[in-house]
Amino acid sequence: MSQLQARFFTDNKKYVIDDVPFSIPAVSEITDLSNVINKLLEGKNGDHKHVEFDFLVQGQFLRSSLATHLETENISTEEVVEIEYVEKYTAPQPEECIMHDDWISSVEADSEWILTGSYDKTARIWSLEGKAVATVAGHTDVVKGVAWVKRDGLSSLLLTASLDQTVLLWEWSSERNKLRARHCCRGHAGSVDTISVDPTRSKFCSGSWDKMLKIWSADYSRSEESNRPRKKQKTEQLGPTRTPLMTLSGHTEAVSSVLWMDTEELCSASWDHTIRLWDAETGSQKNMLTGSKVFNCISYSPLCHRLATGSTDRHVRLWDPRSKDGSLVLLSLTSHTGWVTAVRWSPSHEQQLISGSLDNLVKLWDTRSCKAPLYDLAAHEDKVLCADWTDCGLILSGGADNKLYTYRYSACLSDAGA
Amino acid sequence: VGINEQWGNGMGEGLSEFIRAQMKMGLLSDPRSRVQETLLWYQASLHITFSLSLSLSLSLSLSLSLSLSLSLAFCSQDIRNTVGNIPMEWYKDYPHIGYDLDGKKIFKPIRNKDELDEFLDKMENPDYWRTIHDKMTGTDVCLSDEQVDLVHRLQQGKFGDVNFNEYEPAIDFFSNEVMIHPVTNRPADKRSFIPSLIEKEKVGKLVHAIKMGWIKPRRPKETAPQYYDLWAKEDPNAILGRHKMHIPAPKMRLPGHEESYNPPPEYLLTDEERQVWEQQDPDERKLSFLPQKYLSLRAVPAFSRFIQERFERCLDLYLCPRQRKMRVNVNPEDLIPKLPRPRDLQPFPTLQSLVYHGHSSLIRSISISPSGQWLVSGSDDCTVRFWEVCTTRCLKTMEVGGPVKSVAWNPAPSISLVAVSYGENVILVNPGLGDRLICSATDQLISSYEEPEEVKDQQVQWAVPEGKAQEQGQRLILTHPKAVKQVSWHGRGDYLACVMPDDGSSLQVVIHQVSRRRTQNPFHRNKGAVQCVSFHPSRPYFLVATQRYVRVYNLIKQELTKKLMANCKWISSMAVHPGGDNVICGSYDCRLAWFDLDLSTKPYKVLRHHKKALRGVAYHKHYPLFASGSDDGTVIVCHGMVYNDLLQNPLIVPVKVLKGHIITHDLGVLDVAFHPTQPWVFSSGADGTVRLFT
Repeated sequence: MSQLQARFFTDNKKYVIDDVPFSIPAVSEITDLSNVINKLLEGKNGDHKHVEFDFLVQGQFLRSSLATHLETENISTEEVVEIEYVEKYTAPQPEECIMHDDWISSVEADSEWILTGSYDKTARIWSLEGKAVATVAGHTDVVKGVAWVKRDGLSSLLLTASLDQTVLLWEWSSERNKLRARHCCRGHAGSVDTISVDPTRSKFCSGSWDKMLKIWSADYSRSEESNRPRKKQKTEQLGPTRTPLMTLSGHTEAVSSVLWMDTEELCSASWDHTIRLWDAETGSQKNMLTGSKVFNCISYSPLCHRLATGSTDRHVRLWDPRSKDGSLVLLSLTSHTGWVTAVRWSPSHEQQLISGSLDNLVKLWDTRSCKAPLYDLAAHEDKVLCADWTDCGLILSGGADNKLYTYRYSACLSDAGA
Repeated sequence: VGINEQWGNGMGEGLSEFIRAQMKMGLLSDPRSRVQETLLWYQASLHITFSLSLSLSLSLSLSLSLSLSLSLAFCSQDIRNTVGNIPMEWYKDYPHIGYDLDGKKIFKPIRNKDELDEFLDKMENPDYWRTIHDKMTGTDVCLSDEQVDLVHRLQQGKFGDVNFNEYEPAIDFFSNEVMIHPVTNRPADKRSFIPSLIEKEKVGKLVHAIKMGWIKPRRPKETAPQYYDLWAKEDPNAILGRHKMHIPAPKMRLPGHEESYNPPPEYLLTDEERQVWEQQDPDERKLSFLPQKYLSLRAVPAFSRFIQERFERCLDLYLCPRQRKMRVNVNPEDLIPKLPRPRDLQPFPTLQSLVYHGHSSLIRSISISPSGQWLVSGSDDCTVRFWEVCTTRCLKTMEVGGPVKSVAWNPAPSISLVAVSYGENVILVNPGLGDRLICSATDQLISSYEEPEEVKDQQVQWAVPEGKAQEQGQRLILTHPKAVKQVSWHGRGDYLACVMPDDGSSLQVVIHQVSRRRTQNPFHRNKGAVQCVSFHPSRPYFLVATQRYVRVYNLIKQELTKKLMANCKWISSMAVHPGGDNVICGSYDCRLAWFDLDLSTKPYKVLRHHKKALRGVAYHKHYPLFASGSDDGTVIVCHGMVYNDLLQNPLIVPVKVLKGHIITHDLGVLDVAFHPTQPWVFSSGADGTVRLFT
């Protein structure tokens, strides 16, 4: 089997070639195939510039020679092999390294600002360029979770959750760079490890070590405050205490991660080896997915309707929250050598996600290649504890080496130019 | 029977004479006919009696009186006295002794003989020996010479009649010789020459039965052979086959180069080798002679040890064990007991996941908070550190005044206290981690203590720290008279046991009650040095491990309930199964003993998987797991399933050897502890790290 018949196709109109089968050597690898396509394109179009391609056979990335790949995937070589080619994803470009005073426990970024929570009991706001803007100090213990609520022009609302069992709602005006604690959400009986704001930006949910999930109102109106006596305002530095709207109980162990799948549905991952889906309106449990290991983190992609979880056994697992049959785990992404502490789906690409692990690596995955990641981002010198991926294509990761790394990632070179 | 008949005849004849004598005396009126009758009757009756007496193997030596009384007793018609065969005492009180044939009384002799008369008679009467007393008549009869002779003959087993020839020639009446005078001259019966009708009928019936097959005229011959081949069925390949038992004598080795008169130089011994050879015992020598080189075969002297060697060879042949070794073909794997595969026993820790760096010296003890969120470790660098389990973050470091021997987190979820022992002190620390409410409640609980009115003098000083120590979280300091090695909490979290090992001392174990700040010494006397103690998880038992024994005390009844014999030299650590019926003990001689308290006081199983001394053992609270840490730097995790069914023994399967700790100063793992909810095991080592295996 030295030669086999292959037909190449692509979705990208820019790089379409004739739809005819070619006879190609079976031992050829990605670079050989890429050269073939480039040759063909040059023949068709004189001013074509060399482009690196990646190849997919039946939806799986080609990572070895064509013959071995077909053998392992059990694909017949006697028929014409359909090979899809896409422009090769470029490596994320490292941008900034933001130094902190202590371990970074959580990170969330939006289009302008980065919010990080740290073990020095503070949260910090940074500009995307890595400039320290503000320090959110008020907690009496380690800040475990941070979240942006919303932004009205120059003032923003943000949340910090801490080991001291409270969640604080802050108002920050970027113009005057002034921070005010507006509410102190008390109610949990354990460290609050995770918070998540709902898509309408009016509620948020917190998950705690005390096995509870609590839904709180994120509304804050100034009028409320003016009614209060001034003296009380002064004494209550952290703002008036807020109680939860609803408490969801059901987990038998600590809740490690929580997120909103849409406005009505909540999803939480726990140390009791389960993922539970909740109805945010009624507070009842809708579905439960059972794993075999402790879940550290969870992420949901509205593009492909999949859940990705990181657990204490080195695998990133993909779940279908809607499935009713037994096959809950769709895919395991296996390459980490330590606990997976952070996963985040790409906000723009339905097949890409990042994962951070205690083995100091952040990995960029494509679900079409589950054995090997697309890229390893090996910048951290210690455990990676959190990661985020913003809508504008910025990958952030923070860890126990007190550094927050940012990477600019654009899927293709052509996109980058656009 | 023949002898009996002759006996009878002889007897009869002997007696006939006796009767004849009586007849002479006029007792019998009609001698001829009556004597004949009597004789016949005598013969018959004697015949029967003698055959009876013979068959009963009665002695033939009949005494005189017996023979007579027999002869008279059997004569129901006693001609002299008609009272019959009755005990004569019945007539004791009467003047008569019976009645004669005519109905007249027979009177007793007028004067009875007394003993003296008897004696005088015996002395004086020459016929005394032949005088017999006839009970029936009450008279003394003096036997005549003939009668005495008869009695003698009978006693000797001879015929009674002197003239009877017992060896007379026999005359055959019915012989082949035809006599002129037939014995009977009766003409033959008619039935002797006509066919018998009855027989004909019987034969007819038989013939009919044969025809019908009811009876078989001839039994079919048994065809089975009477003899068989003893060795026919023998397996010729059987090991025990008769001819296979031959064991050849061991063969002598063929001579090699070294035995040559001109061996190659490499076979000649060097001086050193020769010295060694000479120093060795003759039995140990590889060669029984020294290889030597000669110029020619002619120059070879006689082998001096030749006779000796032959003798040894003969001895070898003579003494060689001619025993056939029975090789049993057993697959070695079949001998291993069937255990489930470790794969099927998941979950159990398999990989090292996290390492908690921070201590600079060996970590003697670790403990996990009941929630599983925090870990406390005490080290020889005089610090106690509190760690966040899931991130390995050290949240708190507390310096104490000495190397920390033992730390224990209070198992009660409503109390936030950690007991830390260093030197002679035990401090109770509120780490301030976890629920704030619980932390403050604990502080309140301790501070709300009121001094009792009468202060008892206690061996342990309770003190409340101040200043920096208070800020660090220290709440109480207990100063003991001796160095405290181990602290152990009761499950409800109010009682704390401390061990101060000191061989034979009465103060080795104390139990503190934290809420009342009271100290008790439960034992007046301790046998041996106490190594570790533990409270029973559910019952009021207290387990005390000394060097070789584990004693289980009932704290309520204040008595020794059980004494477990560990079969090891020195117990290092002990753990109680959360179910309460099983105990494991680690020992410094590399053993782990599992006790089933319901089963026996001896270990149910002893595991020898570690290569060096065990330092710590632990049970998991929920999962059927236990772990042991050892100086060889490994933690061995075993599946230890305890069934609710009392009939089923615990299943113990070693599942994983966890390596990771670096051996420093010959010490490896010093303590192991399980996570309260996850199947994770923590181990602390001499390399200053705590490692988490998941």
